[in-house]
Amino acid sequence: MKKMIISVENLSKTYGEGQSAVTAIKEATFDIYSGETVALLGPSGSGKTTLITMIGCITEPTSGKLTLDGERMYDQQWKISDTRRIRREKIGFIFQAHNLIPFLNVLENVTIVPRMNGVKKSEADQKAKELLEYLGIEEKLTKMPSQLSGGQSQRVAIARSLANTPKIILADEPTAALDGERALSVMKLLRKLAHEQEVAIVVVTHDERMLPLFDRILRVEDGIVKEAI
Amino acid sequence: MINLAWRDISHSLGKFIITALGVGMLIGVVLVMIGIYRGMMHDAMIVPNNISPDLWVVQKDTLGPFAESSRLHEDLKYSLKSFEGVKEVHPLTFQGIQIHRNGKPIRVYALGYESLSSFKPFTLTQGRAIKIRNKEIIVDTKTGFNLSDKIPLGRNTYTVVGLTHKAVSSGGDPMIYLDLREAQELQFLFSNEQIRNERERGAQSVATAIVNAFSLTLKPGFDPKSVGDEIQRWKHQEVYTAQEQSDILTKNLIERSAKQIGMFTMILLVVSSVIISLIIYTMTIGKAKEIAILKLIGASNLLITKMIAQQSLLLGTLAFAGGAIFANLSADYFPKTVILIPTDEFKLFLIVIIISFLASLSGIRWAQRIDPATAIGG
Repeated sequence: MKKMIISVENLSKTYGEGQSAVTAIKEATFDIYSGETVALLGPSGSGKTTLITMIGCITEPTSGKLTLDGERMYDQQWKISDTRRIRREKIGFIFQAHNLIPFLNVLENVTIVPRMNGVKKSEADQKAKELLEYLGIEEKLTKMPSQLSGGQSQRVAIARSLANTPKIILADEPTAALDGERALSVMKLLRKLAHEQEVAIVVVTHDERMLPLFDRILRVEDGIVKEAI
Repeated sequence: MINLAWRDISHSLGKFIITALGVGMLIGVVLVMIGIYRGMMHDAMIVPNNISPDLWVVQKDTLGPFAESSRLHEDLKYSLKSFEGVKEVHPLTFQGIQIHRNGKPIRVYALGYESLSSFKPFTLTQGRAIKIRNKEIIVDTKTGFNLSDKIPLGRNTYTVVGLTHKAVSSGGDPMIYLDLREAQELQFLFSNEQIRNERERGAQSVATAIVNAFSLTLKPGFDPKSVGDEIQRWKHQEVYTAQEQSDILTKNLIERSAKQIGMFTMILLVVSSVIISLIIYTMTIGKAKEIAILKLIGASNLLITKMIAQQSLLLGTLAFAGGAIFANLSADYFPKTVILIPTDEFKLFLIVIIISFLASLSGIRWAQRIDPATAIGG
């Protein structure tokens, strides 16, 4: 039985006020379940990033309901610290450029989130080593990000996004900086993770070649989110 | 939790150390300025402390030999000796003069004393005291002269028989010590031509039995203030206790210089804090992306604040350490005495830490406003 992890109901985001107001997302409604891989497809400026930042508790919606793993966000009682906690505990992020912290080595980049969550160093290190082994880069533990290739860096970023055992992984064009072969390998890896670890994965992508790897595709155009058939 | 501040610093350690050493030079200069002030206070008291009197007797309505010109007849010493409680009276002359060594001028401060008495207003490090009144001189090593060197002074040439070390006047000039008679001639005896001119103007004789001050030591049990009041009342001269003379030296003579140094120190501290502030601000701006990522993955503002504040404090600590090493190593090369006291260094360290913390606030404020969404891009 798949569990509903992300529930979006009439979610809207408007920037500015009055005549200069721009609605980036108009009343989006969809659900995403555990173990699902969902592609967010759409041209530049269509509102994909706004949508992903709202799901990632980075941008506050103007209206609508957002529920993450059963927890209602931005209700009457919400606090800014709640969004940080949710991001720390339930969400893993993967970026277009791997966005590793340049002054932390591979192991530290992966363990930083669980360490912020209060996990013991030995425990966090053990989990990070397992993840890096799973992703095939266990020999890079003590390397700095500047010593890794693009593909290796993206794998470390994936390991970091998984280190806090998240329910959701939000990825913003994770394969944009990789060549075709590596891009495919990373996408296959994400799909494998989603299925094996029951994580809901939402990926912003332009690359239509990757679409067969997703369970569902959501098209975003002019702020309107539609399920693609 | 991983120490982000330290990880970031060790990632670009060379740059951080060079930055800290740059700020450290400024802090070192602040420390040297404080050391110069301490040195001035110390130097000012060397001569009075070596003479170590209970009372100073100087010309009426003057502040004494170190602050104002004072002239007294030498024979006053006999009447001063007759006061109850007075044990010893030493007539003294003080004079700033210029001597030459290898053709180069050196400013010195000459003290004339009764060389044949047991009174020795100096501490010798080499040689001996003046034994005979025959053009013998004691000089400080700072003049560059050695034992047996000849020094032309006035009409005569003197032989160095003793050396002192770090004996300087309140102005920082090295001390030289002469027999009183010879010092009086040096100060008060005119040239032959001038004596002739003076005679033609009707002057009877040119008095040289003049001194600038008397130092008095008292018998045990006598209160310097009471004895001083008696002398003032009967001899119509100005009398100061050792403490009063010390106050005149430190407050009247040095106060303005101390204020000047204090102003410089304050300006340097303000400059240092502005520079630390700018460095921390620039360092923080340079980490905008990393801070956005940290925020995005759920780092609290406290964690980011700690990172910036710790870096600022580390910068301040390292800069202080560099500055202290610089000040301690360079102190002896300054022309004037520089005295570095651990308590001053500790106080400056605390000030640097406070400045570093305050300097980090602008960076912290900026970092707190960074939107985590900037890590994602659009």
